[in-house]
Parts: sequence; C-alpha cells; structure tokens
Amino acid sequence: MTALPFEARRDQVHRKGDGAFRLACDRESLAGAVSQRACVFCGARVVLYPVADALHLVHGPVGCAAYTWDIRGALSSGPQLHRLSFSTDLREREVIFGGEEKLYRALTELIDRHRPAGAFVYSTCVVGLIGDDLGGVCKRVAAEQGIPVIPVRSEGFQGTKRAGYAAACEALFRLVGTGPTDGISPVSVNILGDFNLAGELWIVRSYLERMGVEVVANLTGDGRVAHIARCHGAALNLVQCSGATLALARRMEEAYGVPFRRVSYFGVDDMAEALYAVGEHFADRDPGLPGRARELVRGELSALEPRLRSIRADLEGRRVAIYVGGAFKAFSLVKAFRLLGMRTVIVGSQTGTAEDYRELHEITDPGTVIVDDTNPLELSALLLEQGTDLLVGGVKERPIAYKLGIGFCDHNHERKLPLAGFEGMLRFAEEVHRTVTSPVWRFAPRRTGTREVCHA
Amino acid sequence: MRKVAIYGKGGIGKSTTTQNTVAGLAEAGKKVMVVGCDPKADSTRLLLGGLAQKSVLDTLRDEGEDVELEDVAKAGFGEAVCVESGGPEPGVGCAGRGIITSINLLEALGAYEDDKELDYVFYDVLGDVVCGGFAMPIREGKAQEIYIVVSGEMMAMYAANNICKGIQKYARSGGVRLGGLICNSRKVDNEEEMIRAFAEKLGTQMLYFLPRDNVVQKAEIHRKTVIDYAPEHPQAGHYRNLARAMDENDMFVIPKPLPIPELEKLLMDYGLFG
Repeated sequence: MTALPFEARRDQVHRKGDGAFRLACDRESLAGAVSQRACVFCGARVVLYPVADALHLVHGPVGCAAYTWDIRGALSSGPQLHRLSFSTDLREREVIFGGEEKLYRALTELIDRHRPAGAFVYSTCVVGLIGDDLGGVCKRVAAEQGIPVIPVRSEGFQGTKRAGYAAACEALFRLVGTGPTDGISPVSVNILGDFNLAGELWIVRSYLERMGVEVVANLTGDGRVAHIARCHGAALNLVQCSGATLALARRMEEAYGVPFRRVSYFGVDDMAEALYAVGEHFADRDPGLPGRARELVRGELSALEPRLRSIRADLEGRRVAIYVGGAFKAFSLVKAFRLLGMRTVIVGSQTGTAEDYRELHEITDPGTVIVDDTNPLELSALLLEQGTDLLVGGVKERPIAYKLGIGFCDHNHERKLPLAGFEGMLRFAEEVHRTVTSPVWRFAPRRTGTREVCHA
Repeated sequence: MRKVAIYGKGGIGKSTTTQNTVAGLAEAGKKVMVVGCDPKADSTRLLLGGLAQKSVLDTLRDEGEDVELEDVAKAGFGEAVCVESGGPEPGVGCAGRGIITSINLLEALGAYEDDKELDYVFYDVLGDVVCGGFAMPIREGKAQEIYIVVSGEMMAMYAANNICKGIQKYARSGGVRLGGLICNSRKVDNEEEMIRAFAEKLGTQMLYFLPRDNVVQKAEIHRKTVIDYAPEHPQAGHYRNLARAMDENDMFVIPKPLPIPELEKLLMDYGLFG
C-alpha cells in the first residue's frame, strides 16, 4: 500500500493480496479527520423516523431536531406526520431546573393536536447530563393518552451512529408484542432494515405479495405503529442493512421465536436470492411458493437482460469505488458492478463489523482496497491511487468525486429513485452508464498525483 | 475590591461563619456583597433576618432575560448586599449550570462594577464541589482568595485536602490563592494544634480558631448573626477578630495537598494518640 494520509489509520485500510486479511473497525473515528459518520441520536433518528403515524419528539435544544428534520425523506403511503420535526427546544432555564415539565407539556399538546398512533421521545446530549426522567414522563403520558409513548435512549455523546441503531432497536422492541396477532398468515414476513427512502420498500413488498407472502410490518419504511406492535406474529423476519435492525431481529428470535434471514434487495443476484430464500423457508407450509418465486424472477429477468446487455458493453472494465454507510449494501454493490462488467477497486463502509469486512474480502478481486470509516483526505488519496472512473456513495462523498474529476452516483438516503429489485437495477445501470460516459469528463479532466503522509 | 470564596465540607458551618464574618466586616465599615452559591439559597438568611428573597435563577425563570440587579440584590445587616443564586429542586436539572448562569448574569448586570464601591465580595459555595459549575467562583477573574472552613474531624480534613487539589488546578490557569484555614471547632481533642499542623503541611496558615458556643445556634434560631443578636457576647468578639484577621491577611499561597497516608498519619499523631 502506498502512502496513506493518516498513519494512525493504517490498520483500517487493507489491499486484498497484501498479506493476511485483518481490518480494524467499530472504533472511534480519528480525531480531526472529519469522519463521515453521525452521532448516536442521529443513528436512532434515521432508523425510527420512517414510522409514519408516530409522533417523533426530540427532547433537546432545537438544533438536534432541526438538523435531522426529514433527514432522509422517507416515503409514506398514508400519514405524513413523521416528516415534521418536533423539539422541546430546551433552553438554559430547563437545563438548570430540569426539562421534564416542558417535555410533558409538549407531548400532551402534540398528541392532542395530531392524534398520532404512538410517540417516540428521543434523548439528546444535554438530557443525558441533566438526567431528566424520560421513561417516567413517557409512562405518565402513555397512561393518560392511551397510546404507546416510547423513550429512545439516544444521548449523542454515548458512542457512534451504531449505538444509535441499538437504541432504536431497543425502542422498537418495546413496541413489538403489544398488539394482537390473530389473522396473520402462516406464510408471512416482516421487512426489517428498509426505510423506503425512494419507494424501494414498495417494490419488495409487491414481489412478496405477488408470490403470495403476507407482509405484516415494515420496519421501519412506510411503517405503522399498529403493524409493528403485532409483528411478533409474523413467521419470518427479512433483515436488510447490516447494522440497523439486526439487533431487533435477534431479540425477536429470542423472545418470540421468529427466525430471521439476512437479505439484500439490491442487484439482480441478491434480489433473486432473497425471494428464493423466502420460497424455501416456507416450502413445507406452501409447497408452491419456491416455484412461484422462480417464475417471478424469470419473468423480471427476461425483461431486464437485453437492456442490461447493451449497457454492459460500454461499461466493461471500468473501475469503481464504493463507500457506503452499511457494509451489507456494499456486498450487493460489488456483485451488481460485476454484473455490469465493472471492477470494484475500493470498497468501504462507515459502520461495518469484522464479519462484514471478512465477507467483503472474500467477494472482491485481488488488489481491491477495503476500508473502514474513511475520511475525505484518505478517500481522495485512495481514489487517485486506484485510478477510479466512478465513486458510489452518499451526499458527503459527492464533492470529493467531482473535485477529482471522477463520476459520482448517489446510493444513499438523499436519492429519489428506488434502486431495489429488478427494476431498480436497471435504473441504477442506466444512471451509472449516463455518468461514466458523460461528455462532461472531457472538460473536467481527472486529477492525478498523490499526497504526502500526515503523521496523525 | 477583594473577592473571597468560602469552601468546606457540607455542614461544617460555611454559611454561618461567612455571614458572621461579613457582619464583622460590615460593622467595621466595609462594603460587602455576599453571593450564595447553593441551590438551597440559605446563605444570606442571617444577614437578611430570615427574609426570603427571590434568587437570581428564580427571577430568571419567572421574568425571562429582563432581570435588574435590584430584583435579586437585597440590603441586609450593615448594608451588606445579599444575593442568592438559587437553583433547581433536589434531583432535577443541573445546579452546576445554574451557578455558571447566575454568576455570568451578575457580571453582566454590573454587580461588581466600580460604581458599587464594594470592598468585598463573598462567594459561599455548596459543600461538595461535585462538578465544574461549583468551581465557577474560583475560575479566572472570579474569587482570588479562598478560605476553607474545617474542623478536627477526619472527613472535614479530607474535604479540605480535596478542595486544595481544586485550588491547585485553578491556581495554575487563573490567579486564585488559598488565604488560610478557618477552624470551626467541634471540640475534637488537640483540635487547634492539629489544624495548625495541617495548615502548615498544606503550606498555609490557620487564620483563626473559632471555639464552639451555643450562642451561635441561638442567634440562628432568631435568624441573626451573633454580632447582631448578642453583640456583647465573647463569641461576637471572636467573629470580629476573624473579620480583622481576614482584612489584615497577606498570606496567599498555592496549597500543596497531602497524600492520603500523610493526612492519616497527622490524624493519628494528633487526634487519636496525641
């Protein structure tokens, strides 16, 4: 490996083929290096907020709510309450005298005004310091209003975004098991870890329903409080996204005996595999299901193939870098780019685990750089060194690519086109094609050269 | 203007000693302000004759930003200006932040400006300096001299030693110095000698030894300082002496806190086997 900008991060970057694979991860970001991660509160908020008929109240200074207002634009097919941002607007006065009374008044007023099906109350840094009894206030309001009011222990300073996912799962688990399960089909699933940012959840749901599988609850994209409350009655949990909802699936398996499978809906291979897995899982209850899954995949693929083939001709051999939030999405992207004839030369995530990175190491080609929790300086250096045609990432990576004269595709929560399933793969292939073959690169030539090492 | 902060273990008699000393200074013609930095807001009761006054933070809570100095400062015995920071009820909010807010507000309102012609400001601080907020009075630009009220009891001496660690920390960044120990007697054996030796090891002095006398409690029940309640009583004389000692004091040091074994040895030598 040639010069990295930060010596201290040497064990979080690995080039496949350079000795035995070991990658450090799940640790604090390097100070001063501008991590692309967010805080515990933000992690909890992004997981929970797509529950559309719930009130989401942030107990803290106004900034915490304002800067995460509709943070991902999660779509709902019905209520839109989740797209509003409510804050108790804690001030000096509440910090000194305690904010419980203001929280109680805010909750009561908002519930009276909006009549939500339930409420999530998020803790922020300052609440963690002054020790407001969030649980006590929530319990009181729940009893008075007759709806679930759930505290979310998401004090920002506690850890990384991953800790926020755990706090969100903890909150969801309090809701699970509180609703009636009668009338749920023995061939039924919950969709965990999809947040319906551009309608991808609807694509996945439609495949499952066409196969004859009942979807009990979406956690949390286009989610509903009542569905989540009874989702322990489903026969299987489908878990997408590595970190965000796996903990919930594990707890539901322990407490209610609901098994889970890890799936991905991105790319032809993974989407098909997910549907086959559901078919196999229920084969003894519904012997026709595996056949229906195959039939659905065959139908979708035959429409897709010819169009993908012409795109692939232009993309063959191009080099792509992937930097995303969760590692599970990276697995799918590596496979999807292989389908398009492209080579993944860098792949990384903000929140991957040791297990995730081992898997990435297995599915990538020799020479691919695998990186955990990178930062702009390091990513820029790697992009130049690896000779990249395209970077796939989130909004924070976009300017990095453009400054270097490299194409960029958004595969994060700011995008407005669904990329899930077979139709999503075509959409993505078209976008990649448009980007990589754009005439603009003749006028914005790629930068070259390497940077010096900072001894951080 | 001299800015003085009084620290010491909870229940040691900080507020009583502070107010009696202030009464002595006021009687001698000094212009004094007392800022109570305890959420219980009972640091000026004896000077004000028990009159409940509105604390800075209560006023801030009820009237918002438009606080006037006159709303929170009240004249007590000998024209001493009395202010209470106040704070939350026990178990809620953040009293430490309250102290910070309150002291900043007093500064913004010009409570210490030259036109007030103050000779002294006293900060009477909650016994246990549990967080940064309670150290506010000894940060840069606040109190410059500290007196620790102590007795010959072991825990009081432990607390005093710990407070010295805090002073040491802030002495480096600001200008705060230790002016001495005030021994408020609990009638422990060899108390005076032990505290004198303790002070010496800390690199400071025992500024005064206050004997124990029930007249202090009697005066408190009548919501008065001893100087006010029984001006002829010998105990009133002790407080006057303490006030004079403080006024004439010129020994200000950065203390050297004792390692715990050394502190315990001191207790053994004087207290238990002395």
